[in-house]
Amino acid sequence: MSTLTALIALLFFPGGLIILLAGLAYEWADRKLVARFQNRIGPRWFQPLADIVKLLAKEEVVPQGVHPGLFVTLPVIALSGALTAALYVPLFGLAPSYSFSGDLIVTVYLLSLLTLCTGLAGANTLNRFSLIGATRTLTQLFSYEAPFLLALLGPALAAGSWRISVIADYSADRWLLLAQPVGFVVALIGLMGKLELPPFDAPEAETEIVAGALTEYSGRGLALFRLGKGVELVVGLTLVAAFYLGGVANPLAFFAKTLALLVVLAGLQSLLARLRIDQTVGLWWRYGTILALVQFLILIVWEGLVA
Amino acid sequence: MASEKFVIPIGPQHPALKEPGHFEFNVDGEIVTDASVRLGYVHRGIEKGAETRNFVQAEYLVERICGICSHVHATAFCLGVERLAGVEAPPRAQAIRQIVAELERIHSHLLWVGVAAHEAGFDTLFMYTWRDRETVMNLLEGITGNRVNYSANVLGGVKCDIGSEQAEAIQIGLNFLEERTRHYLDVVSSDAMFLRRTRGIGVMTREDAERMGVVGPTARASGVPRDVRIDAPYLLYAEHPVELVIEEAGDLEARFKVRVRELFESYRVIRELLTALPEGELTTRIPRRIKPAETISRVEAPRGELFYFIKSNGTDSAERVKVRTPTLPNMASVLVLSVGHQLADVPMILAGIDPCFSCNDRMAVVKRNGDEQVWTWEQLRQYGIEYYR
Repeated sequence: MSTLTALIALLFFPGGLIILLAGLAYEWADRKLVARFQNRIGPRWFQPLADIVKLLAKEEVVPQGVHPGLFVTLPVIALSGALTAALYVPLFGLAPSYSFSGDLIVTVYLLSLLTLCTGLAGANTLNRFSLIGATRTLTQLFSYEAPFLLALLGPALAAGSWRISVIADYSADRWLLLAQPVGFVVALIGLMGKLELPPFDAPEAETEIVAGALTEYSGRGLALFRLGKGVELVVGLTLVAAFYLGGVANPLAFFAKTLALLVVLAGLQSLLARLRIDQTVGLWWRYGTILALVQFLILIVWEGLVA
Repeated sequence: MASEKFVIPIGPQHPALKEPGHFEFNVDGEIVTDASVRLGYVHRGIEKGAETRNFVQAEYLVERICGICSHVHATAFCLGVERLAGVEAPPRAQAIRQIVAELERIHSHLLWVGVAAHEAGFDTLFMYTWRDRETVMNLLEGITGNRVNYSANVLGGVKCDIGSEQAEAIQIGLNFLEERTRHYLDVVSSDAMFLRRTRGIGVMTREDAERMGVVGPTARASGVPRDVRIDAPYLLYAEHPVELVIEEAGDLEARFKVRVRELFESYRVIRELLTALPEGELTTRIPRRIKPAETISRVEAPRGELFYFIKSNGTDSAERVKVRTPTLPNMASVLVLSVGHQLADVPMILAGIDPCFSCNDRMAVVKRNGDEQVWTWEQLRQYGIEYYR
């Protein structure tokens, strides 16, 4: 790959600028859908973009008592983690920009970088709401991370590879949703936990701890975190659609399947009341992990017997 | 060590609070170990204001004590002043007062269901109840011309009549609301995810409820049969009684159920009153000056017992007006109930009593070590003047 195409892939398409815009578009779709489900009008199509532009234009207040370097770098690391993860997934129905054996694990951990940075950002400040929010963010990370990874390893096991492009090719001609229904549900709900969407929004429950770990963030830092979350939404939806919903071989299939998933996510967000953090942990370790593990074991045994 | 405590301040400005109040919760991890409250941020001096105005003006002033249950404040004040003057409002006026009071209860309870659901992160229920609440607000606007501070009362009667056309509109509105309320009762008593946030949370036993003297739906959710409409009927509640709605569990779920079930009683009583609306005058004459006397007047506000003490001195204004809104007796229960619960449950426990801060705010002097003192009226007055200069 020549340097020029590599740069274009990194900065414009399919990574970089386009994925940022796609993140904003998906965020808008999510907000609009939830609003319509809740009998509200919802935001106009450019609202997320306008929010980001406004935030970028604003002064970034660095509060007293924080490590200024960390305070400024954490949002950058979070966003770059999400953007890097985007390079390894089949965005918009195209083949991943980069691919190597084992990139599935790397991608999953790059996606966790956002959560980790959010937690650190909260713990970095002296704000009491941020500290509680950081604790909750990290607690939640430990509860959904293992089942989410297991749910993505199911298709990997079936395809016999830890390379995302190979798994995507393998599942392109079969709907793994039918073979591994538990994995699909766990992956989808794990994605909600990752993105701190209701009912897993205890880490940023506004009625308790204002904005959680990001309470002290304003201006550019907040904008970068929000962009990162939008990118993560797209990447996560792409992964789940590519693995479980018969692949995303062309742009049409990509948009149809990810948007269908988004409708399901929005429906769940409006249907369910917020879980307390202890209930979230209990739910994941009592049901999510056990079910995912059981399915994983069945897969291993089945693979072993067939092979 | 005092500095070892991790204190979560909620308020005076906080997204969970719709009005300013200051709560401090000591937490150990997520568990609340101690709680304290400081109120008084929105004290408006309405009692004093009512004493410097004549009875007619004061009636409109006390109606502004609460933005949600404005009508019961005016009703309590009117009932008190009418008793002092020795007159009684005509039956039709009393019926209309009762209809507006029950419509107001519907609006208040629907509002509360929404707010409490929002505290639990269940915004869909919040949006839906507030949408349906518009129906009852439109009905109130149809009767009185106002959506919030209705001003339906005047001393000695009411200022607005309910004609057959409005009666029909109310019936249609109530039919819609009754159907929706059935759905909400179903949601608050069977939605599994929501019950995880309400069942067994903030349990107040009957003994606790009686010891802390809580009132209104909060008390009735703990099995305390306490309702002024039944214990000391006023208006036409003796002829057209409501049935006591009571739950034994004492948790948040019970508080939801009591309030939602009370809605059905309100629908029934309003329908009953509309079909048996007495004919006659809307107002009766009331003297401008009232001979020296004192009285108390109690009504059941949506949040519980509302208490008025009114003392007249022979002029056209009151010597003393004392108001005790239901939030005041209920507030202590928040502090007691939050201890031992998770921080996440605290906003719901607080919302569970349906607090109304500005209604209950009164002057508070913070006693510091060594400057305890008794203030004379004159000193207090001077302090007030200096404070706001």
